[in-house]
Amino acid sequence: MQSPVSRGQEHAYTEAQLATRRAKSSNMNMRLTSAIVRTVVATLLAAGALAPACAAIIPPGTPLAAKQEMVRNNGAEPDSLDPAITTSLNSALIVGDLFEGLTAEDHHGNVVPGVAESWKRTDPTTWVFKLRKTAVWSNGQPVTADDFVYGWRRHMDPKTASISASVAVYILNGQDVVKGRKPLTDLGVRAIDRQTLEVKTAGLVPFLDALVASAQMSPEPRAAIEKFGKDWTKPGNLVSNGAYVLKDWQVNSKIVLEKNPRYWDAANVQLTRVTFLCVEDGNADLKLYQSGEEDYMQQLPPGTYSALKARYPDELRNGPVLGMRFSALNNDDPLLKDVRVRKALSMVIDREVLASKITADGQVPLYGLTIASVTGAKPARYDWADWPMDKRVAEARKLLAEAGVKPGTHLKYAYNTSDYNKKMAIFTASEWKTKLGLETDLDSFEFKVLLGKIHGGDFQVGRFAFGFDVTDVTEPLELVQCESDLNYNRNCDRKADGLITQGTLSTDPAQREALLTQALKLLTDDYPMIPLLQASMPRLVKAWIGGYDQAIFTRSKDFFVLQH
Amino acid sequence: MWAYVFRRLLVTIPTVLAVVTICYLLLHATPGGPFDSERKVSDAVLANLQAKYHLDMPLWKQYLYYLNDLVHGDLGASFRYADWSVNDLVKRALPVSLAIGGTAMVIAVVLGVALGIVAALRQNSAVDYLVMLFGNIGSVLPSFVLGPVLVLVFAITLPWLPSGGWDDFAPRYMVLPIALLTLINVSTIGRIMRGSLIEVMSSNFIRTARAKGLPTRLVVMRHALRPALLPVVSVLGPLAVGSITSAIVTESWFSIPGLGRLIVNGASDRDYTLVLGLVVLVTVMTVLLNLVVDLAYAWLDPKIRY
Repeated sequence: MQSPVSRGQEHAYTEAQLATRRAKSSNMNMRLTSAIVRTVVATLLAAGALAPACAAIIPPGTPLAAKQEMVRNNGAEPDSLDPAITTSLNSALIVGDLFEGLTAEDHHGNVVPGVAESWKRTDPTTWVFKLRKTAVWSNGQPVTADDFVYGWRRHMDPKTASISASVAVYILNGQDVVKGRKPLTDLGVRAIDRQTLEVKTAGLVPFLDALVASAQMSPEPRAAIEKFGKDWTKPGNLVSNGAYVLKDWQVNSKIVLEKNPRYWDAANVQLTRVTFLCVEDGNADLKLYQSGEEDYMQQLPPGTYSALKARYPDELRNGPVLGMRFSALNNDDPLLKDVRVRKALSMVIDREVLASKITADGQVPLYGLTIASVTGAKPARYDWADWPMDKRVAEARKLLAEAGVKPGTHLKYAYNTSDYNKKMAIFTASEWKTKLGLETDLDSFEFKVLLGKIHGGDFQVGRFAFGFDVTDVTEPLELVQCESDLNYNRNCDRKADGLITQGTLSTDPAQREALLTQALKLLTDDYPMIPLLQASMPRLVKAWIGGYDQAIFTRSKDFFVLQH
Repeated sequence: MWAYVFRRLLVTIPTVLAVVTICYLLLHATPGGPFDSERKVSDAVLANLQAKYHLDMPLWKQYLYYLNDLVHGDLGASFRYADWSVNDLVKRALPVSLAIGGTAMVIAVVLGVALGIVAALRQNSAVDYLVMLFGNIGSVLPSFVLGPVLVLVFAITLPWLPSGGWDDFAPRYMVLPIALLTLINVSTIGRIMRGSLIEVMSSNFIRTARAKGLPTRLVVMRHALRPALLPVVSVLGPLAVGSITSAIVTESWFSIPGLGRLIVNGASDRDYTLVLGLVVLVTVMTVLLNLVVDLAYAWLDPKIRY
């Protein structure tokens, strides 16, 4: 009786959250900010031009429906609506509608002004944000620089114990504050006056403007928090500064937001009411969509992509997100210690077939440690990526022979139970069997059990997926750096590590990029893991919902309902 | 009888304590913790989290803390639903599950008993076969098959009802989940009722009643029904607890914010306090419903005295 549910659950955790995401312990939302866009904004600001206020961009002459309301499935109940506590992508979407940070991200993934109307970097590690005078809380109080200082300190306060406080690494003294070694007042953020906020970063953080757009970096209403304590996020108590206010919250059912008339850009907000559902089961999600109960799905259930694409060509929307699927390799393992073995295992997996026939839902083949749209380093692509498969197989066999690995050798592949993961596991095993003659024992575990095994190094090959917050290359590099918490492969290249440290400390952008590119190349050639796919997020969205662009972080502010 | 009830209620305390202790140990022995995710939490953050939730203490101390809160009626803070206490969550989910599961049980009992009687009295007739066919479908098809079929027919092909969701006890959202839970339970109850009544109808005292010249209706209502209900009543306790507290498939499929969803999410997220809180609730409900069942026995069977 329970299997379909546990499968649904699994799906909710592995695919929906994963694909987009920063799953549970993610600090921020995934971002698809392109380098070009950031440069454009920076140029505008440097030239002293006012950055444009950005909201629902409605092509002229578009007939709008009288009723501007939308129901979107959010895939899971949010873990919290408190910006300082929230960690999951699902929560960040709602928190991003309720609160607005210094900057925001529009539906194309561009960084646009939020509460800050302009900002500039006064020296390599100091940023000054100028807050707009028209920004007010939903209770009419002005949003001041002190609200940001209060919110950020609360976020990184050890007493708050926020999972997403790992973002502190980017702010001066952030790490020490989180560890309780320095007082909150030492955090690198201060209010120069009511409308001016100064942020000092730990090292060069060229993407700070994108970072402060995340829900976790929102200002917080001190008076309301002190008055209501833990209950301050409940309807009736919650004071917010974003485009929406909280109307209703029925746990495990829905969250209803209504337009905030006091929001500074309210004139450009079309939707007057947004309902977030928290349906985890992918099939239930689909049925709700088909029966007209919702306008916007979380994610298609596995195996339905091609049929639904044919049936709803105008409604199926898909796009790559800032996340990757890979097989983690335990570099401490006696067999996998040898780079030749790791390379051989990676080379023979036909990512084109995997993407087009096995997962078959619009994921993008991956031939390197970084996904497309990464910034801060030149991408490094495997030289064999364009070889014909025969040549790849021949080379891989040669490598294995050199390493003394005989056909018939057994490998152990661990994954967490779900149809999607199972398909990928079987495909991987079959590639190694047919092309290299290796035997793979597939072990399926419950999600948290798998995490425990991989985090603890108790595995040989493990299915994994990861979502990034920012496009900067330092994030994917965290997965393959020596002492990183996120390095599950347990590989370590001291030379590359040195280059990364030098790069992140460098205050010269060109030098930073050169050093990080060099490090990325070294690590790519070391084959610490097997990158497989860049994740994508296929979902159905009704044809009358306008403003949909990127699959990831989309504020309800950017949507509108067409006449239908 | 009141002394008996009091004694039974007293026994609840050690029962709950034993169940909580076992669950507590099992939960903490389960691999993976509440804060495990793809993005491994840094040691500093993990230390802060563990301090916040007292997870940094020795297990026995944590356990005593938990028991102390429990005695004071506080089920603790949820890890998964960070803005809510377990008490809040249960307070909101219990009425939903009671409304769905309770209504379904009442309908299932009335329908099941009625169908069982009809089938038993017309044993091996077309009516019997029809009822039994219906009953077998209900028990053979699991809820994860019946649920989608109901949605396909009544929400998509005939767009009469929503395919899921919940809105403050609005009846239109309750029809399909109640129908599903009823279908599952009615077959069980119907089959038991039929079998039991057939057996009772062939016993000596029924022959005596017939010999007195009583019409069948009176024989059934006055003499056969009460003893025939005994086996039905004995399954009602567990059936009701199951329908109310762990209608996991139904609640997930129809996206109902009830206890079943909390249990699933709590378990997969290793939300220790939430799972323990629900375990306490299920234990108390099981004990209480079993007590009700035992009292009903005494009423149904004059041979039983407490």
